[in-house]
Amino acid sequence: MASDIPVQVEGLTKNYGTFPAVKGIDFEVHMGEVFGLLGPNGAGKTTTVEILEGLRPRTGGRVSVLGLDPGLQSKQIKDRVGVCLQFTNLPDKLKVREALELFASFHTRTTSSDELLDRLQLTEKRDAFYSQLSGGQKQRLAMALALINDPQVLFLDEPTSGLDPQARLEIHILIEKLRNQQRTILLTTHYIEEAEKLCDRVAIMDGGKIIAIGTPREIQAKTLGQSVIEIRCDKPIPNVELPQWNHSEKSQISADRKSLAVISSHPARTLVEIVKWIDQQNIDLADVHLKRPSLEDVFIELTGRKLRE
Amino acid sequence: MKAYLSLIRIDLKLAFRNRSVIFFNYLFPLMFFFIFAQMMGQVRPISYVVGMVLVLGILGNGLFGAGMRAVNEREQNILRRYKVAPITPTPLLVSSMVTGWVAFMPSAILIFTIAHFRYKMTFPEHMMSLFGLISLGVITFRSIGLIIASVVNSMQEGNILIQLLYMPMLFLSGATLPIEILPRWGQIASRFLPASHLVTGFRGIFEENQSLFQIWPSLLALVATLTIATFVATQLFRWEKEEKIRTSAKLWVLAALAPFLILGCYQIFHE
Repeated sequence: MASDIPVQVEGLTKNYGTFPAVKGIDFEVHMGEVFGLLGPNGAGKTTTVEILEGLRPRTGGRVSVLGLDPGLQSKQIKDRVGVCLQFTNLPDKLKVREALELFASFHTRTTSSDELLDRLQLTEKRDAFYSQLSGGQKQRLAMALALINDPQVLFLDEPTSGLDPQARLEIHILIEKLRNQQRTILLTTHYIEEAEKLCDRVAIMDGGKIIAIGTPREIQAKTLGQSVIEIRCDKPIPNVELPQWNHSEKSQISADRKSLAVISSHPARTLVEIVKWIDQQNIDLADVHLKRPSLEDVFIELTGRKLRE
Repeated sequence: MKAYLSLIRIDLKLAFRNRSVIFFNYLFPLMFFFIFAQMMGQVRPISYVVGMVLVLGILGNGLFGAGMRAVNEREQNILRRYKVAPITPTPLLVSSMVTGWVAFMPSAILIFTIAHFRYKMTFPEHMMSLFGLISLGVITFRSIGLIIASVVNSMQEGNILIQLLYMPMLFLSGATLPIEILPRWGQIASRFLPASHLVTGFRGIFEENQSLFQIWPSLLALVATLTIATFVATQLFRWEKEEKIRTSAKLWVLAALAPFLILGCYQIFHE
């Protein structure tokens, strides 16, 4: 496997007893890229990431992290990558500063704890017990521990799961900063917005398989998902029957008759017609908004289910 | 080495921040010491009481201190965080044993001091042997606690298994009730309990001025149990509560205690 690609997965399978959790998946994470595994609970995301981290043996396929095999060289991998796991805790009476010192002692290469505390806005909390931290602060500490060995590759398993919106935003900003530092990040999430916002490329997983892979835009473009054109007018649209615009499926007028929403499979063509029609009604446009299909729409289209069902 | 030292340092800090550690290591033995001293002070030498209290302390420190804590850390997903660090279970287990020892020694010294100044206890001839037996006792019982932690699947199971070992050792080893007043079956049962060998070991050192070498069969059994328990605990170590272990694995506890079963049989046949 090529050594300049930090994470490579080929034909990976994993069975728990007779249950196939991962059914043969392939992907690569390139240097400096934020790659997202998106899917519902039980899709096989965590299993995949834990195999890469060297925490679980795989059933079949080839896997390489920083040119190493997690099945055989897990200790070297753990020393060099950063990991933020779901559902972990630290002892209640452990202080923030002590947690960093402790985990630093396990690695051969470490970065300054003070600098990390500063970067993660935990300096004020350095002498606080773990039990005294809020959910967001605990997660920032988990991120700090993941960064203690200054890793070039990071695995973040549901890094914002269960956090409030403010804490989630803080983690997003941090991940963006890590991306700017050219670190390679593999993250799993079941939040669509997170994948769309943070990831350069996404693989959508369902039932142990990858059902779509590419940049969020590419994935959206590949599907038959329809866009919604939202138009706001400066005065109410007259109470006439709306025409059947080209490629449009459904049109809806708001209660105040100033807004119009049209679902279209070819928004450019539909939009031109709508604008012409509105002009003919002697109305001016206040706002035009085009909503492309989201990854959620793509997921529904590919599986017939909602992501969080 | 860096990992071992950090873990021991942090474990000690955590231990002294934990009220139950302070209670079971310091207040509890002290309380028993005064109760037993009042009850038996007239009929038994005070060193006898000191031996009993030391064994009680060692039992609690090992079975509850090491055993329950290890299960708790797994249940709370704390070990899961360690799992992604480049370390093996060995530093975690070693650090637990060393921490138990460091936490226990001040308590033993405190009891000696009170026994000496308040109850006029004379110190034994072989102080190094006394120190050695206490240390070996603490570390061996920590290792028994750790093997229990490695074969149970929940706090509840851990509690049951610990009580199953703790209760007989509490009443049949001479740590609370003198062996002489036990019925015949109790006296026979006591031969198989590691705690009884500690009790007789302390008595030999205090009352007969014996050295560790004169109680070598007990010493050997302690070392053998320590070795087996530590080895099996590293092999069966689990980082996550989701990794369940089969019920039959609990037999490993018996395997670890086998040296005392052999020693008990040997003693009974040679009477």
